[in-house]
Amino acid sequence: MALNRRDLLKIAALTSAFPLFGCEKVTSELSKKLGQTIPEKFGIAHDAAVDRDFHLLSRATYGIWPGDLDYLKKCGRDQWLQEQLSPEKIDDGACELRARRFETLWLDPGTCAEFKKPVLRDELVRHMLLRAVYSKRQLLEVMVGFWTDHLNIDVNKGDAIYAKAFDDRKVIRPNALGNFRNLIAASATSAAMLIYLDGKENRRASPDAIPNENYARELLELHTMGVDGGYKQKDVYEVARCLTGWRIHSPWQRGQVYFDNDQHDNGTKLVLGHRIAAGQGERDLDSVLDIVCKHPSTARHIATKMVTHFVSDKPPPEMVQKVATAFSSTGGDIRSMLLAIFSSPQFDQYPAAKIKRPFHYIASALRSLAADTYAHSSLTEYLSRMGHGPFEFPTPDGYPDQSSYWVSTLLWRWNFALSLCAGNIAEVSVSLPQLAQAMGAEMGQGKGLHAEKMFAHFVGRKPNEHELEAFHGHLSIKPGESRDAELVGLMLSSPAFQRC
Amino acid sequence: MEPRNQSAFQSQSHSQSRRSFLRRLAFADDATATGANRSLVCIFLRGGADTLNMLVPYGMDEYYKLRPTIAIKAPGKSSESAIKLNDLYGFHPKMAPLLPIFADGRLGMVQGVGSDNESGSHFSAQDQMEHGESCRHSLGGGWLGRHLASRTQSKQTPLSAVAIGTALPEVLRGAPAASVIRSLDDIKLSAPAGDTQLVAAALAKLYQAETALLAEPGKTTLDLLKRVQKLQQKTYSPANGAIYPDNTFGHGLKELARLLKGNVGLEISCLDLNGWDTHFFQGGAAGLQADSIEQLALGLAAFDKDLGSTRNRVTTIVITEFGRRTYENSSLGTDHGRGFTAFAIGERIAGGQIHGALPLLSKGQEVDLFGPAGLPISFDYRSVLSEILVRALDNRRIDCVFPGFNSQEVGLVKRSIV
Repeated sequence: MALNRRDLLKIAALTSAFPLFGCEKVTSELSKKLGQTIPEKFGIAHDAAVDRDFHLLSRATYGIWPGDLDYLKKCGRDQWLQEQLSPEKIDDGACELRARRFETLWLDPGTCAEFKKPVLRDELVRHMLLRAVYSKRQLLEVMVGFWTDHLNIDVNKGDAIYAKAFDDRKVIRPNALGNFRNLIAASATSAAMLIYLDGKENRRASPDAIPNENYARELLELHTMGVDGGYKQKDVYEVARCLTGWRIHSPWQRGQVYFDNDQHDNGTKLVLGHRIAAGQGERDLDSVLDIVCKHPSTARHIATKMVTHFVSDKPPPEMVQKVATAFSSTGGDIRSMLLAIFSSPQFDQYPAAKIKRPFHYIASALRSLAADTYAHSSLTEYLSRMGHGPFEFPTPDGYPDQSSYWVSTLLWRWNFALSLCAGNIAEVSVSLPQLAQAMGAEMGQGKGLHAEKMFAHFVGRKPNEHELEAFHGHLSIKPGESRDAELVGLMLSSPAFQRC
Repeated sequence: MEPRNQSAFQSQSHSQSRRSFLRRLAFADDATATGANRSLVCIFLRGGADTLNMLVPYGMDEYYKLRPTIAIKAPGKSSESAIKLNDLYGFHPKMAPLLPIFADGRLGMVQGVGSDNESGSHFSAQDQMEHGESCRHSLGGGWLGRHLASRTQSKQTPLSAVAIGTALPEVLRGAPAASVIRSLDDIKLSAPAGDTQLVAAALAKLYQAETALLAEPGKTTLDLLKRVQKLQQKTYSPANGAIYPDNTFGHGLKELARLLKGNVGLEISCLDLNGWDTHFFQGGAAGLQADSIEQLALGLAAFDKDLGSTRNRVTTIVITEFGRRTYENSSLGTDHGRGFTAFAIGERIAGGQIHGALPLLSKGQEVDLFGPAGLPISFDYRSVLSEILVRALDNRRIDCVFPGFNSQEVGLVKRSIV
């Protein structure tokens, strides 16, 4: 919906006059005008099995906003994917209103160092969650999440937090749907990564200095080739030698990365059988990246991770092969790999086969309900309680993608869902009556909700007899708002909504 | 160390099964022990702890040559000196809170513990150790999971196994029931319309119909809710003047003490302490590693005090995925090594002593770089774990926990008197 000039002026005036809380109210009003709301009417799935398009949405997005399914069905899967793979063409104004407001996200590491660490962490997490919930560039956000795990940085290590916003802005986001080698190259010289994996300490101050292997090992083991990728301990050592000399300025130009040739081991190296000539200085990094990114183990490792993420915890080997081929034949084009996954007929054979990780679970609940939130701590604390606080995984392998890792978080999921629906999470609001009405699930004054329709909106299929029976216990007690809230809370607590 | 040759390995499994049969016979008369009477607390130091600076071989000159900046001073008057245990070893000064337990004969150490994993990878080494397997010979589930699963006769409860934290550790995979909690008080169910029972009943119906991955966790969670409600009705204050350090590790131990003393059938509990990957500026008597050691020692000392008489049935083991190299690197830290010192506390521990031979400290640059090396391994980690499970937890099916593994006598745990 277009905004007229008068609306904008009015909002601008209000925004400047109001304290933060008022500002959020105004932003919410403006967002609604920009379409970030529940449509007047929207469709739901009707079958006993999970709707095929719903399945695509539940894997390629952080959840189904009311109306998403209609839109996908209207434009078709191919066009929808093309749109999502060109996120720069999608107008994301409404999301920007909520997510752009965190000033530390736009600063360089040196300036971030002027802020207190809890402030930085808070803004990073809120920004991440708000984009996941409100962005229309959903596949981009999902891939940002994927690469954030792949190139994990725990902001609690050293001063990494000062440089993480820069890493998010300059390493992860611009390359999330781009080229793999560019992504790894950006990460290799990212201040946050140099801090997190000790790359900044990897130097050759004297001829007999021993390199710090931390980053070199994870570059091979986690970021590119995989633990069984075929490299030897000797290769780790040689890669570490190639990467000596990358430093971070301090205090002058604090946080800027530079290459110090005097701290670089300029001797000849032998990486995975490739000889790297002496005296190449910072070009050694390019040589290493060329060798490892072109290695077939890397194509296989990245393909396996992506298929695990988007298809199944047990990635079907033929599909991994297909995606690895897409990687190799395009020189690591991430879009081509995604297309290979989503256009594969096999993709449709895995509906509801994965368990949502807590971040996905929370985002999808908020999206399904079209919740209004600014991700204050009352909400984000659920992430840490479920062990999934963004940028806080201690080890470089990133949050696990295997469903079995996450199943012990059920109690917190149930409490989140029940509290969310009842409006008991401070500063997060939902409107169940409006949602029910728009999907035709309002049974009329005092009669409660149409359980079958509500459920289909959340999970992409009709409830089975067991599920209906569980809900009916609630439908038979005294009607009221809190009963409706409890019913919807149960739907979001059900096994079906844990799945995607 | 376990033979690496596969055929040699198999030829030994025959005598192994005979031995475990005899062992089972030996324990068959010991009817006094029941599941909840023995409890194990497993503390994992994540990142590869440099135990060489925790149990300091101050009596060796080599130690000081290899670690010119980060070595701990020999026992002396300074507060930065090691605390003398015997003529060879001293504790890191931050280990001081554990000294009374050592003197009491309940804290014992084993030198040169490790696995056959030579990858130098945290994940590979941690996974292998948590799974209780030899390198590249994958077994299903974790060793504590298999231990719990092997105790079919004993009564399993949702609180038989508890991990303090936010995610189920690999070591508990395969356990019939395992709960992950941060604090006991967190465990309750929200009910917007006011009737918790009704919500719980609906959830029970929903999760009963599940056949896959979520069925068991759903049931476990609902059972857990019921049991814990009872414990929550009293507020908790640690006994015997124990003061836990105010950090995640300390809080975790306090919750464990509460559960152990609450008699809810807790058999196995797991707790992690992170931050041991000290490649960079490890520090000596003070600094990065010293802070971690302090957390560990203060926490364990408070836990021991708080447990009071309950400590008779609790054994605590502290392990890590690998030790670090004997020599410091150019960033005043230490890189990934091999062997480490395992620590154990309990009535059944042969404490007040250090088991195993003095580690060989030598630089051997070529070997170290391409090894990676560090302290040599005298005991496969499974020998230590077996001894604890068999002698301190009365496991009679150790062959199910470490199938085909030929355990070696360590001497860390006293033989039970039949």
